[in-house]
Amino acid sequence: MEPLTGMGVLALMGAAATIAGASEDLESDVGSQSNPNSQVQLAPQMMYPHRIHSKAVSGEPPSNALMCAIGGTTASVLVSTGASAALALAIGAIVAATIHGTYAATSYLGRSASQKRFKQPVYLDVMRSHIPVIMGYSFITTFCILVVSYLMATVLAHPFPLPLLAFIWGITVGAVGSSTGDVHYGAERQFQNVEYGSGLNAANSGNIVRKAESGLRNGIDNSWFCAKFGGPVTGLAFGMTVFLSGWITAVFDPSRGDAIGWVSVIAGVIIVLILILWNRNIEVAARKAYGTYKEDENEAEVAA
Amino acid sequence: MSAGGSGAAAEAIPQNNIIAFGVAGGLIGIYAAYFLVDIAGQYMSFIGALGAICGMIWGAAAVRRVASYGLGTGVPSIGMLALGMGVLAATFGLAVGGIAGPVLAVISAAIIGLMVGILANKVLKMGIPIMEVSMTEIATAGTITIVGLAVAMTGTFDFAVILEQVITTGYIAVIFIAGGLAILHPFNANLGPDEKQDRTLMCGLEKGAITMIIAGIVASVNEGASGALTILIGLALWYIGFSGYYDRVKRDAYDVVGSGLLPSKEELE
Repeated sequence: MEPLTGMGVLALMGAAATIAGASEDLESDVGSQSNPNSQVQLAPQMMYPHRIHSKAVSGEPPSNALMCAIGGTTASVLVSTGASAALALAIGAIVAATIHGTYAATSYLGRSASQKRFKQPVYLDVMRSHIPVIMGYSFITTFCILVVSYLMATVLAHPFPLPLLAFIWGITVGAVGSSTGDVHYGAERQFQNVEYGSGLNAANSGNIVRKAESGLRNGIDNSWFCAKFGGPVTGLAFGMTVFLSGWITAVFDPSRGDAIGWVSVIAGVIIVLILILWNRNIEVAARKAYGTYKEDENEAEVAA
Repeated sequence: MSAGGSGAAAEAIPQNNIIAFGVAGGLIGIYAAYFLVDIAGQYMSFIGALGAICGMIWGAAAVRRVASYGLGTGVPSIGMLALGMGVLAATFGLAVGGIAGPVLAVISAAIIGLMVGILANKVLKMGIPIMEVSMTEIATAGTITIVGLAVAMTGTFDFAVILEQVITTGYIAVIFIAGGLAILHPFNANLGPDEKQDRTLMCGLEKGAITMIIAGIVASVNEGASGALTILIGLALWYIGFSGYYDRVKRDAYDVVGSGLLPSKEELE
């Protein structure tokens, strides 16, 4: 393949992956999936019933792998019957989003019903308002992941079939969303009622913010908050993962010889080293700027 | 007390009955599909998915039992482990077993599961009393799920056909993840101190029906199997599962309200 074509395809994949990453994180935030879910689950037990959707499907990697594998399977079946790729990918993503909606419904109903003794009601309007949003985001995620996988399978001639590629990218986008985006929601948004940077004291467990700027807080408020930073940064992280991991073999194409293949490996190692150093510098700079956690005067008195 | 606690889960249906349901239903479904596709025609391939649903409900019951010992966030992992062991056992059994393939797959799954259970308790010292039994159950249920769905997709458990139409085409990925979530999701979705066995298992039926629909979508392009009937029966079972589940949610929940404020302080006391 022409190197220029390869770079063009790679750019398209990177763009699709960036959107997928952003929508994946926001989709998990609407339903409080993954890490923040433990506090949503805990809240009623600590006498804090709430109106926040609990989408306890599983960790983000398996649930996104499910969406993308279903989308990839449906699309691959449709393509093999002669349907156009764009139509097949869109229908695959619709099927995946619908099934994800049923998972979101059963987990909210089940988790709330299992908290009967803590008097957590099941709010049907929470389901009605949240599940379409969740399905919308999951459609965007699945469609973009399918675009990435389809381009890899057809244009870049990857040896893996479409459903398997979609499955693997689904796990990856879930893992990136879980590690990058959740921090923004779980650590900050859920505990805006404690001082910034104070960490989660055991006494505050389950004491999540339940009242919004206006009315009672729900998952859609949380996705609004996360759309400002957590979602986009997840998109950038996943977009970079897809782009950089493809870039090294697009520029140093291993099919042109073993030596160039090894150059691509070395380029990959250099990129990882640069990222490690960069991250370390950000961490050191942040610690210098914000310092360690400062005790309150009250705490200092108690300690003395 | 189940879920989040650390003790045996309360069971309305004894686990032994569910084991019998899972093994017998699963194997009967797989073999009935295999023979009836030859005798009556390819549209009988849907029976394989019914067998797989028996396996998934059994798997969900087994996950529920072992995860009640305070496994919490380990529930998804154990579901993935089930299908991981299942893929190994299913490919091995079908590759060497011929007509006895599914039985051989089930037996090898039981052996792998038992070994993993012994490792978990003796080496990792997890100290869960029913670990060995549950791991054996989970691995076997995962295997029945994989073989059942593969039969529903292809109409046969002949390894050459499965290799060509399920594994090389990548559809094994969707069997793996959809089957795994059907086993792990029911208990995970109902986690909490007031979890009930029948509600969890009804959720298992609903999720199993979804995998049946997916198997039907794949079957529609394979010559040996028929997709339309599988998808239709899958949709009907999904409806039965979801409405049954919603009825049980209404029965078990503190309150099901269309909308409303949070319970007041007086109510909470």
